[in-house]
Amino acid sequence: MLRYISQRLIAMAITLFLIISLLFFLVHSMPGSIVNDPMLPIDIKERIEAKYHLDKPLVVQYVYFLGDFLTFNFGDSIKVQPKVPVFDIIKDKLPITIQLNILALLFTLPIGVICGIMAALKKNTATDHGLNMMVVLFISVPSFVIAALLQYIVAFKWELVPILLSAEQALTWTKFKSMILPILALSFGEIAIVTRYLRAELCETLNSDYMLLARTKGLSQMQATLRHAIRNSFIPLANIFIPMIFSILSGAIVIENIFSVPGLGSLSINAINALDHPLTIAVMFFYSLIALISILVVDLSYGIIDPRIRMGGKK
Amino acid sequence: MTTNNEAILQVNDLHITFNTFSGKVHAVRGVQFDLRKGETLAIVGESGSGKSVTNKAIVGILSKNANIERGNIIYRGADLTQYSERQFTQIRGSKISMIFQDPMSSLNPIMKVGKQIMEALRVRNISKAEARQRAIELMIAVGIPDPEKRFEQYPFQFSGGMRQRIVIAIALACDPEVLICDEPTTALDVTIQAQILDLIKQIQKERDLSVIFITHDLGVVANVADRVAVMYAGKIVEYGTVDEIFYNPKHPYTWSLLVSMPDLDTSSSDELLVIPGTPPNMLYPPKGDAFAPRNRYAMRIDYEEDPPMYRVSDTHYAATWLLHPNAPKVEIPDVLKKRIAQQTERLVR
Repeated sequence: MLRYISQRLIAMAITLFLIISLLFFLVHSMPGSIVNDPMLPIDIKERIEAKYHLDKPLVVQYVYFLGDFLTFNFGDSIKVQPKVPVFDIIKDKLPITIQLNILALLFTLPIGVICGIMAALKKNTATDHGLNMMVVLFISVPSFVIAALLQYIVAFKWELVPILLSAEQALTWTKFKSMILPILALSFGEIAIVTRYLRAELCETLNSDYMLLARTKGLSQMQATLRHAIRNSFIPLANIFIPMIFSILSGAIVIENIFSVPGLGSLSINAINALDHPLTIAVMFFYSLIALISILVVDLSYGIIDPRIRMGGKK
Repeated sequence: MTTNNEAILQVNDLHITFNTFSGKVHAVRGVQFDLRKGETLAIVGESGSGKSVTNKAIVGILSKNANIERGNIIYRGADLTQYSERQFTQIRGSKISMIFQDPMSSLNPIMKVGKQIMEALRVRNISKAEARQRAIELMIAVGIPDPEKRFEQYPFQFSGGMRQRIVIAIALACDPEVLICDEPTTALDVTIQAQILDLIKQIQKERDLSVIFITHDLGVVANVADRVAVMYAGKIVEYGTVDEIFYNPKHPYTWSLLVSMPDLDTSSSDELLVIPGTPPNMLYPPKGDAFAPRNRYAMRIDYEEDPPMYRVSDTHYAATWLLHPNAPKVEIPDVLKKRIAQQTERLVR
């Protein structure tokens, strides 16, 4: 097991290296200069560029960049919050994004699972068809449309919750109330995906031979479903869990802008627009890190739910 | 044969249909048989003849789109077709149990086998310690070596034959009276088949079980059965003791089945006889005898009216117009006659 994890970690490091290299060249090939004030004298502009090594060839810049990176020196922000280390900026913006994501996940999983189980147990009934319609609707409508609709109807027409996120730092009731809409906007699409996936899986396990055997040994349909079918249908569910964590994160980039959430999503957009290279790379690096870690966690969790995989490694 | 005449299970005039998108499929059309205490009744027939459906109805695990149109299933005086799901959970496992065709898929892949055996006992409120003890005894009874260690293992660590033994242990966990075996050896290779058949025969003798054995393998039938029922297109076309069916078959379908089976004297250059055509589409059950279009002895009446069950002996009945007093005398096909003669000779020697 330890060997497996260390292998995975090495592979992860290589992937990360490739990602940041790609990122570096991508970011630096964006047009424009970080000094865009036309009033600035040309020699000052050149000195600023020299300070950030921007006057050197790209390959040399890359070597500088790698050197900094390997010593965990991510640099300071250039334009979004000048001279503040990017690490501090991210640390600052992170809590609200994580709060949103975790709440959205906490909301998505149980509801998606319950809807999926209900649709599978009531297959081809009105309940199932109703749920199916919702699933199609929420998978096809993008989250920012749902966000705008929610803002208009729930916040503006009914005035139930504020339109934008409250600026309070601590997680108070008012703050939570203003977070409801972004959470909903982030969750709907994911709930639909979980529902659709679990329904398909559970329908299949419900028709499996071991369900028949479970019933012939005296378990009621309910007991057999709870003890045998559901756990078996959860195994493939772990598989969509990876993209889900990440799609909520990336969905948050748009949603955070709509609800003016001062989180990582809006930060990344600002950094890209301002050509703040160190900050852009740091934010993207952070996103990649989360994605890779979540994949690792899910792969490891397979072993916990599925004995066939756990035992397979034990020779 | 240790059979006495007390029938513990009776199926009378059972009709089962399935609702499908293309219409009603008439899977079972008037099946009638009884099962006596301690005997093995084999039900043979080709795929789709309604063998499994009939038996799933007995255990109450028909799929949701199935309807029992007519008839009843009497077990110990109670009509199982009227049973609610709740009542069925009372008798499933403890009175009537079933094992399935594919041991690879009939065990839950992510639950320890010991737990799966215990589960049958635990739902009947037996304490954990006792259930564990009984489960290990069962594993010994079905011939699993090193049961203490095997108890903690998962199905994927077992071979096909061993899994089928576990399935049998699960089916026997609550001491049922009736065991339905739905093609239990079809998915196994031949040597393992023989072991599993011996095991089923042995536990049947030890526990005085009544066994319904569904198969399409006549070799298996000859090995295990006391009585045989031959099914075709949702009906039983002939039934009798195993000797009567093998040595004195009366229905042309039984003849065809017996002839199409290779035996020790069949050389590899011989061509096996096949039954021409395909079974009827049960969406539109045919008028008259369903086997008529494939039957070279069919008469006009076969296409018009369903033959009744004719009595051949007290234990042997067949549904074919050939047994009508006015029917022309039709002899058993020569190939079959020759074979039966060879068999009898071999037995005498």
